[in-house]
Amino acid sequence: MKLMYELGAEDQAALDAARTEGEELLYCVPFNIYGESFVNGFTAVTGRRIYCILHGRIVGQYELARCTEFSTSVMYGNCAFYGVVDGSTTMICRFISGRNLPRYSVLVKACELLAERAAAGERPGDPLTNSEPERFCPKCGRPFIHGTMMCPFCRSKKEVYKKLWGLTKGLRLMLMFPLLVAVFSVAFQFIVPAIQKTAVNEYLTNENMRHISIGSPEMRGFIVIIVAIVVIDLFQRLLGVIQGRLNAISGNKFTLMMRALLYEKIQNLSLASISNKSTGDLMGRITGDVGVVQGFMTGQLPNLFIQAVSFLLAIVLLVGLDPIMSLFVFVPIPLVVFLVSKFWETVQFRNRKAWMLNRRVNQLLQDTLNGIRVVKTFGSEEREIARFAGATERSSSQNESNAKIFDTIFPLLGFAVRFGSYLILFYGNYMLFKGAMTVGALHQFNSYANIIYGPLLYITFIPRNISNFLTSLGKILEILEEQPEVADISMPIDIRIEGDISFRNVTFGYESYNPVLEHVSFDVKRGEMIGIVGHSGSGKTTLINLLMRLYDVTEGEIVIDDVNIKQISQNALRSQIGVVLQETHLFSGSIRDNIRYSKPLASDDEVVAAAKLANAHDFIVNLPEGYNTIVGEKGYSLSGGERQRVAIARALIHDPQILILDEATAALDTETEKLIQDAINKLTENRTTFAIAHRLSTLRNADRLIVLDRGKLVECGTHQELLDLKGFYWRLVMAQRQDSGFVKKHESAHVS
Amino acid sequence: MAEEKKTDAAAAPEKKTETKKDDASEKDPKKTAAPAGEPEEEEINPDDLFKRRPSVDLTPQNAHFVTSKGGMISLTLEHEEGEPEFFERVVVMRSFPITAPDEFLSVREPDTRKKGRGAEIGMIRRLSDFDEATRAIINAELELRYFTPVIQKILSVKEKFGYSYWEAETTAGKVSFVLNNPFSNIRVLEDQRIYISDMDGNSFVIPDPTALDRASYRRIEVYI
Repeated sequence: MKLMYELGAEDQAALDAARTEGEELLYCVPFNIYGESFVNGFTAVTGRRIYCILHGRIVGQYELARCTEFSTSVMYGNCAFYGVVDGSTTMICRFISGRNLPRYSVLVKACELLAERAAAGERPGDPLTNSEPERFCPKCGRPFIHGTMMCPFCRSKKEVYKKLWGLTKGLRLMLMFPLLVAVFSVAFQFIVPAIQKTAVNEYLTNENMRHISIGSPEMRGFIVIIVAIVVIDLFQRLLGVIQGRLNAISGNKFTLMMRALLYEKIQNLSLASISNKSTGDLMGRITGDVGVVQGFMTGQLPNLFIQAVSFLLAIVLLVGLDPIMSLFVFVPIPLVVFLVSKFWETVQFRNRKAWMLNRRVNQLLQDTLNGIRVVKTFGSEEREIARFAGATERSSSQNESNAKIFDTIFPLLGFAVRFGSYLILFYGNYMLFKGAMTVGALHQFNSYANIIYGPLLYITFIPRNISNFLTSLGKILEILEEQPEVADISMPIDIRIEGDISFRNVTFGYESYNPVLEHVSFDVKRGEMIGIVGHSGSGKTTLINLLMRLYDVTEGEIVIDDVNIKQISQNALRSQIGVVLQETHLFSGSIRDNIRYSKPLASDDEVVAAAKLANAHDFIVNLPEGYNTIVGEKGYSLSGGERQRVAIARALIHDPQILILDEATAALDTETEKLIQDAINKLTENRTTFAIAHRLSTLRNADRLIVLDRGKLVECGTHQELLDLKGFYWRLVMAQRQDSGFVKKHESAHVS
Repeated sequence: MAEEKKTDAAAAPEKKTETKKDDASEKDPKKTAAPAGEPEEEEINPDDLFKRRPSVDLTPQNAHFVTSKGGMISLTLEHEEGEPEFFERVVVMRSFPITAPDEFLSVREPDTRKKGRGAEIGMIRRLSDFDEATRAIINAELELRYFTPVIQKILSVKEKFGYSYWEAETTAGKVSFVLNNPFSNIRVLEDQRIYISDMDGNSFVIPDPTALDRASYRRIEVYI
């Protein structure tokens, strides 16, 4: 992310005039709002001062040494950057959140550092940097396509086409074939009228032919012409068949290849870059965008080619055949193009409106049908009926008026398009009567003139089609070109994990300027059960994510059995860690398959053993289909506790040395929790276990507890030790005891 | 939550010692083990851990707003009993920014990174109850906080690449903005006002779409 913008000459001069000797510019970021207007101002930070520069003037100036605290605040329609100057909060500038909030978040941190150093008389040090990606195009200022780093306006089209060419390896011949067929079909489109002309002139309108018997040489000539037309037609259809079949092959092969490539890439990307994108967005790329690209390459591209070539060829031929008459064809073209595009606007506008009204009806339906219990309990059926009636009425009246208008305009438009041929008819027949033209020539000319109108109507769609295609292609390429952030080293080690874990001075932030964990250090011996406690947002889950190496630490190291986890292959690492999350996702399939997910070749003995360990066996055998019961989205719906136990069994089947329970029992009632607690107690024996829980009673069996607060490890010890400490943990315990309505007595130190 | 306590005026006598202890425990877990012994035990009442400051009705009688040294708003709040309370900086938020911008104004302590969300000090039921000077101070802050330029003219709307690119003249100058989904970014109220929120977090308003010129109206017509 850019933190040093270039100042314009005027602004630079203003800054140079204001700053003192040796005062080096460290940051320069834009601010966008001043007073009641949008502006292009800059906030410049040196080692000594903060300057707000606008239109070549310094509009604000603050001594860092007199500032203590900085902050940003997101407001409605804008954001502000504040500093505490001489003990009083002062607004330094305002900016647009989407553009600059991340920049100012860094600046808050940076200015606080600088202020401290300035107050202490130290040197400012090197400026902070930030690797967070920009969200809008540095060239034109428009936002990137969502979730990408791609500006549709500034991207080089040549490069995209080049990459596409690279992707079509192995399919090129097949993809070329439609173009070949297109050449033939264009050729025939023009040859047939030429032959027909001969047929008309030489035979149909030839007086001498009236008395000729079958079998005469002239008749034979005529038959040859007929046969030629038939053969050409047959040949053309044959080509069409071949093209259709090849298209089916090449199109689907292309889709298959792209989908496989994309899916493989997505599976291999780090969690960090995947969680940046929504599931819907990724699904859209694999299914929708690949479809658009494929459709364009196999369907629209050859069509575009045909249309363009036949349009140009028709023009050349028309002019060549009869320059004057061709004028009659060309004269109405501007009018037709104008009318079509105008009409197209109306069609779009009206269709849109109808679509929107219809969408509103659907939304209303979905809303009220989903909330039908609420509607009924509040007795507001009448009101809902009226609301729905109103919405459908508006939708249907819009549809009605659309249909009326379209049905009027379409025939009129058809007339306008055909207008040129009326002129030809008029002028052509005039020439015919004069004897300056033959019937065949007129027919041929007319056929060519008709060819022109097809492409004309098609032209209006081309820009839209191409831009859709390029956007989709760009989205696909972006994923294919992304570099995985968490990568194995070149020779990763496959170790058999014993379970000794140390965090050594670990610092990590999803964004570098905003650390979620700071200088966290602790050691865990094999077989220990560690409870992780803290408010939400204190970094508990992040700690676990780092241990699984879903992200790489920013500073420090995580060591398992004296090996840095970066040296262990990700596969070896994760296959020896079992995880149970609060949100248990069961895949569509049988319970047996779900339990075997982490070890697909597990025997039924192992499945049953794991289920028994997880206290799941009893309820599973009581299901009508036992272990074969289908669960997941469309299957048998298990209760929360049951799902959780299946998830525990799944985590256990590969006998992991490290077990992670992330709020595994949070959503359950106490009785189910008891069952699961028992299960957990069984399985934490001999395994290094990390358990995160809000409900502290869940952690009563933990050997030690780690207490996190805002990313820092604040306390570490056994339950009793921490209670005696009367610190952070004690407060949490007290607070929870109040929540659950326990009698709070100071002496009853034990939870549960 | 421990920090909320700090701001709790009602629990004034306990405040000091507790805050101290709190800081220490955060800095170094080992150190706390030592002084954890005697005095604190009596002072912390678990009941207080979750206490929030009560919100009061702010009236011209009990609330005095002035501009702070840093150009923000300071508040002196008089309680029925005890000393008046002084807030160096308060923020004012609208409860109904769109339907009742001058009523139900929530006056709060600012959010900070250390303390988290600021607590509500009190509510101004109607701004018109206050004198002109106070109204001016508060309105100035509200205008900053709810920055909503009025669109006067829509110069162009282009749909491309799945986004909708707009250019318009507003009371804050000429702007270009981008909507990712015009149908949900453009909100039409019952009184016909149109609110537009763009991808960057800007908000714009059209108070009366029918008062727009013909070309501008046609550009937005399809979305309303």
